[in-house]
Amino acid sequence: MAAKTSARVRTEAPAFRRAGKLAVVSGASRADGDSRLDRLVYERVRLGMMSALAVRDELTFSELKALFDVSDGNLSAHARKLEEARYVSCTKSFDGRRPKSVYRLTAAGRAALNRYLDHVEAVIKATRRG
Amino acid sequence: MRQPHTVALDSHAAATLRYIRACMEAAGTVAVSGSAGVTMGAVGLLAAALASSPALRPHWLIVWLIAATVAALAGGVLMARQASRQGFTLFGAPVRKFSLCLAPGLFGGAVMTLVLWQAGDQRALPGTWLLLYGCALISTSAPTTRIVGVLGSLFALLGLVTFLLPESLQNIALGCGFGGLHLAVGILIRRRSRGSED
Repeated sequence: MAAKTSARVRTEAPAFRRAGKLAVVSGASRADGDSRLDRLVYERVRLGMMSALAVRDELTFSELKALFDVSDGNLSAHARKLEEARYVSCTKSFDGRRPKSVYRLTAAGRAALNRYLDHVEAVIKATRRG
Repeated sequence: MRQPHTVALDSHAAATLRYIRACMEAAGTVAVSGSAGVTMGAVGLLAAALASSPALRPHWLIVWLIAATVAALAGGVLMARQASRQGFTLFGAPVRKFSLCLAPGLFGGAVMTLVLWQAGDQRALPGTWLLLYGCALISTSAPTTRIVGVLGSLFALLGLVTFLLPESLQNIALGCGFGGLHLAVGILIRRRSRGSED
């Protein structure tokens, strides 16, 4: 499989750490529900998981862990939040004696990622226009 | 004037987009272009036909070296086009991994060609080419798809068989490998991708 341990994602840490929430872009109204969903996608590891799953049909827990270099507990917590929001689906099975969790992006998750991307693009356009 | 600890909104958003792109590239695999396989196969078959003609038979080595260059260029351009369509940059992680996996086998093949040519042992060249190209393809199956590994195994197997073949049949073996196998797998990939390629 691709994206093994060597394929760790390089981060843009300083910009992310210093920045707060995304500002609401003028003209792009969002309902309360959407705001909540945006915050769910906004978190760095969850955004990374959804982006990675957008280009791969499925990724195992181990592959995601190697990709983002996070602990089991941390990744589990993020994955659970995405599952609860029905943005990703998880299939659990056994590979021999070892448990195996396979994650897939759902249609709702893809739509949420697209919405988020639209929002980020709108921020860039609005800022550069002004 | 901007404060030293503030981040411009657009730069933060641009950093987010870069992060998303990096995640997609790190997780992504290079989709092998079926068109590249078909084109390389056609070049291989043409080279086999030319190298077996009485006029060009003494120059078979030059014919195959030209064919290899043409096929590599055509395959490279078609693969780059495919990667670009997927939204991957040419120097992004998946394409870089693919190139790094492919390069050692091809470099070994180039060195062995020079060594065997200087030693006057041209009989061993077809088997060496097929075997090392097969090994290179097996390596590239990691950042691509399983079918590339299968193709590599077939090349490597054909290479081993070619070492045992008489000289008169070695050009046919090269045609079967670089022509037939490329063409067959290229058509298979195109069928699987169901017209997503041009």
